[in-house]
Amino acid sequence: MSPVVHMQGVTKVYRSGSNARTVEVYALSGVDLTIHQAEYVALMGPSGSGKSTLMHIIGLLDSPTEGEYSLGGEPVRGLNEGQLARIRNQRVGFVFQAFFLLPRLTALHNVALPLVYRGIPAAERLKRAQKALESVGLGDRLDHLPSELSGGQKQRVAIARALVQEPDLLLADEPTGNLDSKSSDEIMELFDALHRQGKTIVVVTHEPDVGARAERIVRLRDGKVADGGMA
Amino acid sequence: MNPAKDAPLSPSRVGQSGMNPLENFRMAFESLWGNKLRSFLALLGIVIGVFAVTAMISLGQMATAGITQDLEAVAGRSIFVQPNFNEGQDFNSAPIRDVDIQALQPLPVTVIPQLFTNIQYESKPGERRSMQLQGTPGDLPRLDPTNKIARGRYFTDVEARGGLAVAVLSDRAAKDLFPNREAVGQIARLYYPGGARIDLTVVGVLEPPSGIFGGFGSTATVYAPIQLIWNTSPVARKGQYDFVIMSLKKGADSSQVTQQVRRIFENRYGKGKYQIQSTESFQGTLQSITLILQALLGAIAGLSLLVGGIGIMNIMLVSVTERTREIGLRKALGATSGQVRQQFLIEAVVLTLVGGILGVALAAGLLLLITATVPFFKVYILNPTTVFLALAVSALVGLFFGVWPAARAAALDPIEALRYE
Repeated sequence: MSPVVHMQGVTKVYRSGSNARTVEVYALSGVDLTIHQAEYVALMGPSGSGKSTLMHIIGLLDSPTEGEYSLGGEPVRGLNEGQLARIRNQRVGFVFQAFFLLPRLTALHNVALPLVYRGIPAAERLKRAQKALESVGLGDRLDHLPSELSGGQKQRVAIARALVQEPDLLLADEPTGNLDSKSSDEIMELFDALHRQGKTIVVVTHEPDVGARAERIVRLRDGKVADGGMA
Repeated sequence: MNPAKDAPLSPSRVGQSGMNPLENFRMAFESLWGNKLRSFLALLGIVIGVFAVTAMISLGQMATAGITQDLEAVAGRSIFVQPNFNEGQDFNSAPIRDVDIQALQPLPVTVIPQLFTNIQYESKPGERRSMQLQGTPGDLPRLDPTNKIARGRYFTDVEARGGLAVAVLSDRAAKDLFPNREAVGQIARLYYPGGARIDLTVVGVLEPPSGIFGGFGSTATVYAPIQLIWNTSPVARKGQYDFVIMSLKKGADSSQVTQQVRRIFENRYGKGKYQIQSTESFQGTLQSITLILQALLGAIAGLSLLVGGIGIMNIMLVSVTERTREIGLRKALGATSGQVRQQFLIEAVVLTLVGGILGVALAAGLLLLITATVPFFKVYILNPTTVFLALAVSALVGLFFGVWPAARAAALDPIEALRYE
C-alpha cells in the first residue's frame, strides 16, 4: 500500500530582492519524509526550522521548489490551483491553532462548510456534520455559535470539521496552542482516540508533551529532517 | 471507513467536487444579514439611485400621457389652418375663402371655419374693455366636442346662417360681462373698435376648459354667428375667414390628412402662405421636449447610481480585508479561487439587487402618491420594462463594482490569509 505522505528531496526556496541581488532563503532543503496510513506523527522543531513550511506543503497550501511529493500515492507536481483545492477538500483535514470557525455560523454549519465545496446537498451535509459533531462529543452543541463555546469545544468543532471531510490525513497545526492544560488534555485524548480508530494524524507542535503522545517524532532543524524521517 | 481512501487521485474523483452555485446565494444572504446595518447603509446609495432613475422615467411617461390627454381635451384630434402674416402684408392679404372651405370638404374631417375680431364692452360707465369676438358655425359643440355647454345652448345652424343677433359666452366672458348675474337670457351690449354697437342675446355659456392647456381657452370670448359678424363688422369681409379648425373623423390618419390639406393650399396659393398644424404635431413637439428632459434627469439620476456603485465597491473591499481569514480558511477547506470570486461577486450583486428592489418599490409608492394628489398626473404608469431595466441595471452595477473586490479576495494566498491578524 502506498504511503499517505511520501517526500523525496523536497526543497523550498524563498527568493527576495531585485534580480541583481537576489537573496535566497532555504526554508526546506532536501526533506525526505514518509508517513504511512494510520500513523500518528508529531512534527517538531524550533521556530524557523521549517516545520510550518513543511506542513503547508503536506497540506497542499504550498508547493515545493524542488523534489517530489506524493499524497496518497499520487504525485502533486504540475497540478493547478483548482485541482489542488479539490484534493485539499477531499484528502486533507486541517486543524488550526486559532480554530478558525466562522463566527456567524452555528457549530453544525461550521462543520458542514467543507462539504459545500463538494456539491453535497444541504440536508446530507447537515446529517454528516451532526454525526461528526457527535463523534467529538458535541452532539448537544449543534446550534451554538462559536462565541457560545469554550476554547476546547471550539477546537473539537474544528476537529469535527476536519473529520467530516473523511480525509486521508488529519493535519493539526499547534492544536493546543490556544488552550489551557485541561482542554489540551481533552484534545490530545481525542487525537489518541482517532488514532485508535485508524486515522492518519500529523501534529505540528513545539510542546514536548504533545509530541510525546505520537508514535513517532519527526524533528526538523534548519530546514532538514534531523530525526525520524523514515518509518 | 472511507471507501475512497485507497482510490488514486484520478481525475474523476478530483473532478466530482462541483459546488452548487445556489450555495453562494445562500452564503451571500447569510453574510449580508449578519451585517445588517452595514449592508443597509451600503445599499442605501443604490436604493436612492434606482429610485431616482425609476421615478424619473415613469414621471416622464406620466407627464407625456398627461400632456397628450390635456391637449386632446382642449383641441381634440384636429388640424389648424391660418394665414402666415408676412412682414409688410396686411391682415387680409391671404384670407381663407369660401372656395377653400369647399375644397376641404371631401377630406375625412369636420371643417369649422372661424372669424376673429376685437370687440369692446363697457365695464363701468365711460370705461371700455376689450374681448374677443369669434365667429363660428352653429352647433359648435356637435362639430367640435372639445367645446362643452355649461348652461343654456349653443346657437343653431339656422340662427347662424340667418346672422341672428345671438351669442354664446366663454366662462370668462360671462363673468366679465355679467358679474354676479346669470348671463343666459341677458343682452350683451358690445362695441366694435370703430364705434358701431351690437346687442346680442346670450343663449348659452361654455364650460371652462380643463388641464394645463386650459389657460389657452380661458380668454374672454363671445361666440357669434359668422354671418352676423360679416354683416356688422367694419373690417370683416363676406366669404373670408381667419382660421379653420378641421376636426378629424374617427380612423382618419392625422399626418396623412395634414399633408392633403397642405397640398390643397399650396396648389392654390403656393408655398409658405398658410400655416398648417395638427394636434399631433404639437404633441410630437411636446413629447420630444419631455423626452429630452427625461433623458437629462435620468442621466443625473444615473450619476447617483454610479456613486452608489462606488459605495458598494468600497464596502466590498472593506469586507474582503475584514474577512481575510475566512477567505484563507475557505481555501484551506477546498474552495477554489473561482468559488471565492463567485462568492464575493454574488454578494455584491445580491446587495445591489436588494437595493434595486427597494428603490423600485419606493418609486412605485411615490408615483402612486403623485397620481393620487397631483391633478396633472392622471394615470399611474410603471412599465414592466422600466422595472426590469432598473433591476437589471442594479444587478449590473453590483457585478461591475464587485469585480475588483472579488478579484482581490480570489487572489489571496491562503497561507498569508490564515496568518492575517
